[in-house]
Amino acid sequence: MKFKITFFAAVLFCQISFAQEKDSTTVNKLSEVTVTTGTRTERVLSSLPLPMSIITSEQIVKSGVTRLNEILNEQTGIILIPDESGFEGIQMQGLDAAYTMVLIDGVPLVGRTSGVLDLSRVSVGNIERIEIVKGASSALYGSEAMGGVINVITKRPVKDMFSGSLSYRYATFNTNDISTNVLWKKKKFAANLFANFYSTDGYDLDESTTLQNVEKFNNYTIQPKFYYDFSQNLKLIVGNRFYNQKMNNAAVIESENYNGDAKENEWNSQIKLEHKWNSKIYSEYELYATNYKNDSFLNDENDVLFEEAYYNQWLFRPELRTTFSIANDKLTTGVGLNHETLDRTYFDHNVNFNSQYVFVQYDYNPTEKWNLLAGFRYDNHSEYASQFSPKLAVNYKLSNNFSLKSSVGYGYKAPDFRQLYFDFTNPSVGYTVLGYNVAEDRLNQFEEQDQLLSRVAGISFDKPLEAESSINVNFGGFYKRNKLKIDVNTFYNAIDNLIDTQVVAQKNNGQNIFSYSNYNKIFTYGIEYNTTYSFTKEFVLSFGYQYLIAKDKSVVDNFEEYQYIRNSDLQTIKINKSDYFGLYNRSKHTANIKLAYTIPKIKTNVNLRVFYRSKYGMFDTNGNQILDQYDTFVKDYFLTNLSISKDLTEKVMLQAGANNVFNFTDPNQINNLAGRQLFARVQYNF
Amino acid sequence: MKTNFLKLSFLALVLFTASCSSDDNDNTIPAVETIKVSNLNAPQTGGQGQPVGGEFTKFSFSENKVVTTDKWDVAFRGTTIIVNGGAKVGINDEPERTGSGAISIVSNTFASVTTFPAATTFAQDGAAVYAIPTGSGNGWYTYDSTTHIISPIAGKVFVVKTHDGKYAKFEILSYYKDAPAVPTGTSLSPFYTFNFAYQANSTTTF
Repeated sequence: MKFKITFFAAVLFCQISFAQEKDSTTVNKLSEVTVTTGTRTERVLSSLPLPMSIITSEQIVKSGVTRLNEILNEQTGIILIPDESGFEGIQMQGLDAAYTMVLIDGVPLVGRTSGVLDLSRVSVGNIERIEIVKGASSALYGSEAMGGVINVITKRPVKDMFSGSLSYRYATFNTNDISTNVLWKKKKFAANLFANFYSTDGYDLDESTTLQNVEKFNNYTIQPKFYYDFSQNLKLIVGNRFYNQKMNNAAVIESENYNGDAKENEWNSQIKLEHKWNSKIYSEYELYATNYKNDSFLNDENDVLFEEAYYNQWLFRPELRTTFSIANDKLTTGVGLNHETLDRTYFDHNVNFNSQYVFVQYDYNPTEKWNLLAGFRYDNHSEYASQFSPKLAVNYKLSNNFSLKSSVGYGYKAPDFRQLYFDFTNPSVGYTVLGYNVAEDRLNQFEEQDQLLSRVAGISFDKPLEAESSINVNFGGFYKRNKLKIDVNTFYNAIDNLIDTQVVAQKNNGQNIFSYSNYNKIFTYGIEYNTTYSFTKEFVLSFGYQYLIAKDKSVVDNFEEYQYIRNSDLQTIKINKSDYFGLYNRSKHTANIKLAYTIPKIKTNVNLRVFYRSKYGMFDTNGNQILDQYDTFVKDYFLTNLSISKDLTEKVMLQAGANNVFNFTDPNQINNLAGRQLFARVQYNF
Repeated sequence: MKTNFLKLSFLALVLFTASCSSDDNDNTIPAVETIKVSNLNAPQTGGQGQPVGGEFTKFSFSENKVVTTDKWDVAFRGTTIIVNGGAKVGINDEPERTGSGAISIVSNTFASVTTFPAATTFAQDGAAVYAIPTGSGNGWYTYDSTTHIISPIAGKVFVVKTHDGKYAKFEILSYYKDAPAVPTGTSLSPFYTFNFAYQANSTTTF
């Protein structure tokens, strides 16, 4: 452990000492990048007062990965990890997957399992860039954007062209990935057509069990996008995405084997008009509809249907945005509404959410040096209290190379359908979980049926369940000089009204009835550091590091309730407050080193990335219901990914490499880490 | 004469005091002994959606054994623990409360509980109320709905007023046979392992 930290420190030091040397050879200027997610207008990344990063299509291609979860997992401050239920999701600034909104071309994906969005649904074959905004972004995006926003932006042909690519990749576990992407533009018409087929046998970390960690599945994505320019000032965009996945469904319940299928279907449709009224006023009219469907079944050994489950979510969202340019400043306004429905197993009936919202943002540039971003969003919702989400961000440019930035924002996450309407009784154990809005009626029913022993005193469902809310503060700086680029951000998030389950009643069978409630407060803080140093044009080294503390405020405030633990002899001992480690599934240190080396002579590019995650705990192991230093932890680990690309001709690229080169696995504790995956890819560009 | 009487009285007093203190030294209440009870089996019938029933396993601290008489102090069935004092909770196959028992729940290490808690902190069983509340996180254990493991909460010491008005303290260490440090899905339950100390004397400390 000590060695590992020393190693990182050494690399960091090297970078700084190299940076201090004045190099007279060719300066590899890091070009300016334009982004849209942070403000919904085009802005230069480096001058933006928000913590934001991007992943370019070049980085994606060179890394050799194929799905969105894989490429995001390689970014500093982002980690894709399974939660307690085993669903892999994104953790940003120490916040769970439920608090990050994921957009494709500015419109959100739906279809979450226990709040977690499966990002392996998104293929990266047609991506221009991925923009990542960290910290509360509810002032523009509303609920779910409490921890941040990830916007996947697909390629758009800008001049008359016909080009495309065809790619085939084969990897360990019999994984096949076939992609084709066509970009075409002729005068007023343009199109981006993308298709992908992916199949894998899955993997099994423990051969002695009947079930695999990931069962065999295949999926395809078809994503046609059309553009028509009525004029320079009026442009139409029609984008569609279809996704279909079929997976083996298997389960072992009370030592009986069950088998079946699980199907996912997703459809996203976006119609957008870009309207430039004049040089000062620009509007976008957008209609978005999406449907996520999931159907699964299990048959027993005699092929008799044992269990069926379905999930069918719709989102319909018209939105209108207008930006007014006033001298050096920009005023952006937006108005829209959400109509959401969900029909699923364990819901009594099909449920609806309706909300209307407005947002305003003023991008103020009083002098060359100062940039101020102030805005708010107001959401009026059918199921919970209205939300007002303000945000203020400032960027101060000390020089062309050095700027400081800070932002303060309010974030919120509305109670989701499950937290309000779930009605589930575990068939084998007999416990029940009830959504907040249906709990009172169902408890009365249980009582009438004589199934209730007692209700927990002091719990009522009179007041509506409140949205979770957060205050987010960021302070950081950006430094760029010659071959060096440094980006630092410190962050703080305080989340209030966190929704969690609690026992509300006891049944005659001795089991509990759970429901949701606004439960506790947590806070996270830390620092994120990113640096890139280009030794030469051909050799670029980068280092990223995040330090994170995430704790439950009620544990910190009432530590007396958690100070006794049980040692391995089962005896109780008393511990100190300083022994409290923090929330589950959070590592204090995460870091990465990336090395990109190009050998122009043989047109070869070597891309090596090493990732580190320090120890973390998944649950309490010594009886005090919190994670403390004496608990059993998942050990820290390194992962190494390598890819080597070679341009055989102008048009043909060959690629080979390995993810998880050193075959690190921890079958008992980390279920989403498959072993080494070798891969080879051939890509033909036309 | 007066002086002599005073002197004699003083002498007598000194002698008396001295004899008293020497008596005291001889009769110091011995420190209570901590006894570990292993694998106390407390099965229940039904469960998993079916009505729960079956005889409670009744334990006497003074006799240090499972008893079938009315002279029990606490009784176990599955994860439920009852005390011989108060009224029936209203569950199946529940024994009569014939004693004056009660329980006070103290948060501390077992060894550090040396004085009896205030009388007001003692609770008895009653209609739909347990002296040791049932359910995960409420009384003596937590239940993990993923692993289905029952873990005794650390630092929960139960000071028991026994059926006949004496005091004992106990702490549950395990719910599984042979008290494995890390129980698994195949560990056998309910087999209680607990530490207890019984104060047979009329005093206020352990």
